[in-house]
Amino acid sequence: MSGSSSGNETVEYIQHHLTNLCVGDCDPVTHKAVGFWALHIDTVFFSVALGVLMIVVSARLGRNLVTGTPGGFQNFVEMIIDFVSGQVKDTFPGHNPLIAPLALTIFVWVWLMNFMDLIPVDLLPLIASGVLGIEYLKVVPTTDLNTTMAMALTVFALILYYNIKVKGVLGYLKMFVFHPFGKFFIPVNIVMSTIEELAKPLSLGLRLFGNLFAGELVFLLIALIGGTMAVGLGALIWFPLQVVLDLGWLIFHLLVITLQAFIFMVLTIVYLAMAHTEDH
Amino acid sequence: MSEQKGPGLLLIGVGTMLTSMTVAGFGLGLFVDYWLDTQPLFMLIFGGLGIVGGIIKVHGLLSKLG
Repeated sequence: MSGSSSGNETVEYIQHHLTNLCVGDCDPVTHKAVGFWALHIDTVFFSVALGVLMIVVSARLGRNLVTGTPGGFQNFVEMIIDFVSGQVKDTFPGHNPLIAPLALTIFVWVWLMNFMDLIPVDLLPLIASGVLGIEYLKVVPTTDLNTTMAMALTVFALILYYNIKVKGVLGYLKMFVFHPFGKFFIPVNIVMSTIEELAKPLSLGLRLFGNLFAGELVFLLIALIGGTMAVGLGALIWFPLQVVLDLGWLIFHLLVITLQAFIFMVLTIVYLAMAHTEDH
Repeated sequence: MSEQKGPGLLLIGVGTMLTSMTVAGFGLGLFVDYWLDTQPLFMLIFGGLGIVGGIIKVHGLLSKLG
């Protein structure tokens, strides 16, 4: 009996943490989006807030640049810029002034959104419900498929734009008709090339979402160790275990969030580089 | 030119490339099936092409590196 109720609480806890603050076309019971005009306010808020933070910090740093011996933070930012600029130089053929700033923005913004995963899972939802009376709050924007697919589709729009700009409309369409099997398999070529193009935004968006969603789920499961299992003296065993596991996963996840931001950036550069080459 | 490094970095996404080509193939087939009311003909054909295309693409990338 108690086991079953504890199980229900566990499921409720996880479901509650994985539910966005939805307004518009949302189900009144499950709070999931049911129509097109459903907005995940928490995702929008945190992604925009982190974007604004990035702009404000960059603007302040830009105004106070020091030549000669720069301070610690300027050094750190210069190191990131050098790293991204090096990646673009290595990968991108020719010159396009948009690519390096785009890559840097993607890398820093995705990293910041991923970093929200490292904030204790209950902290912000508790503050939101206690102070503001907000029932649902999902703080990591990249664990929402809408964010990752929106970013992937934006990159995809740029890929289409540069493909048409560099190759011309006819050149781009020729790629669909004659690639990869030549002129004797035109229907197959069209389908294969369409699938190949569609796979680009799909793989970009789903990879980031999958990794971060899984990461958050592990944090929730670790949080449950201390929450539902620790009663009385049991807490002496479960609480230290929770701390050790949480710390271990946090350190490992720091690597994951950086790697995922890096992969998103690198694949954006590579796909745009492919769009800039005449032969595809 | 620097094109050598492009496929090298693209290897990061080899695993998801194979799966996303398959998913995109099935998805496109499903869309065409709904459009022409021919379930499940195009889903199977395009899904198969997606798998084959994914294998060809991954093989091409790995060969370039080797």
